[in-house]
Amino acid sequence: MFKHILLPTDGSNLSQVAIQKGVQLAKSIKAKITGISVMPEQKYYLYQTDIIVQVREETVKQHKLQAHGNLSAIEKAAQEAGVPCETVCEISDHPYETIIRAAEKRGCDLIMMASHGQRGVKGLLLGSETQKVLTHSKIPVLVHR
Amino acid sequence: MFKHILLPTDGSELSAAAIEQGIRFAESIGAKVTGICVMPLQHPFLYETEIPMDALEHAAKRYKELADTYLAAIEKEAGEAGVACNVVYEKNDSPYEAIIRVAEQKGCDLIMMASHGTRGVGALLLGSETQRVLTHSKIPVLVYRCAG
Repeated sequence: MFKHILLPTDGSNLSQVAIQKGVQLAKSIKAKITGISVMPEQKYYLYQTDIIVQVREETVKQHKLQAHGNLSAIEKAAQEAGVPCETVCEISDHPYETIIRAAEKRGCDLIMMASHGQRGVKGLLLGSETQKVLTHSKIPVLVHR
Repeated sequence: MFKHILLPTDGSELSAAAIEQGIRFAESIGAKVTGICVMPLQHPFLYETEIPMDALEHAAKRYKELADTYLAAIEKEAGEAGVACNVVYEKNDSPYEAIIRVAEQKGCDLIMMASHGTRGVGALLLGSETQRVLTHSKIPVLVYRCAG
């Protein structure tokens, strides 16, 4: 029934677990997966203009490295399970929008994500990006806790 | 991967659509399903003492009848799809508690429910029971959002 699962990652331990489960599910139902990592935009409100360029380039580089690391973990897990896999790296300050847009654009029929990401388990609430994806997505969302 | 899916129903159109999808999903992966309907308890908080003694009993009976109708719909659909199906009727004022407890008791490994129930789509928010199940469940929850 589900043919194409979107797996968002922020590199956190919780999203790693969701990825493992997502790959496992994809394998068992013969679906393909797309991994997505969304990194924040660089905005600088600094008074010392001479440090801007250097810092900016350095942060962009760091983010790219991190996203690449997160996505290659998905590629590796998919490869080991023999599941077809693509990855996308996006830059946005609103990850949920980018996640939903990517899911629609690529024709995903399920989004599978952890109940919490990098910001961790704050009390019993849902993670904020997961909550926003759930609120705005028209595509079914499987929340893995 | 998933062997046993819990399908909560409140009889709403939105939950019916989620159930249809849930049964389709169960069929495609060879899983069984358990349908659950949770109805409120009857509390005698009444000022008018001359209200008939059997009003509570009558309400309880009516709830049970409604639940039976909703659950029979799940059984029928599952039967047509050839999916093994059980149903559970629970009385609880906090449906999410009953849903999670039954899921754990019955060994369900997925809860599949609509993004909204009888109270409809309140702006862009999630339905309140779905939200509570998501917040408290340790079992994965698949939220099905119906078009519209």
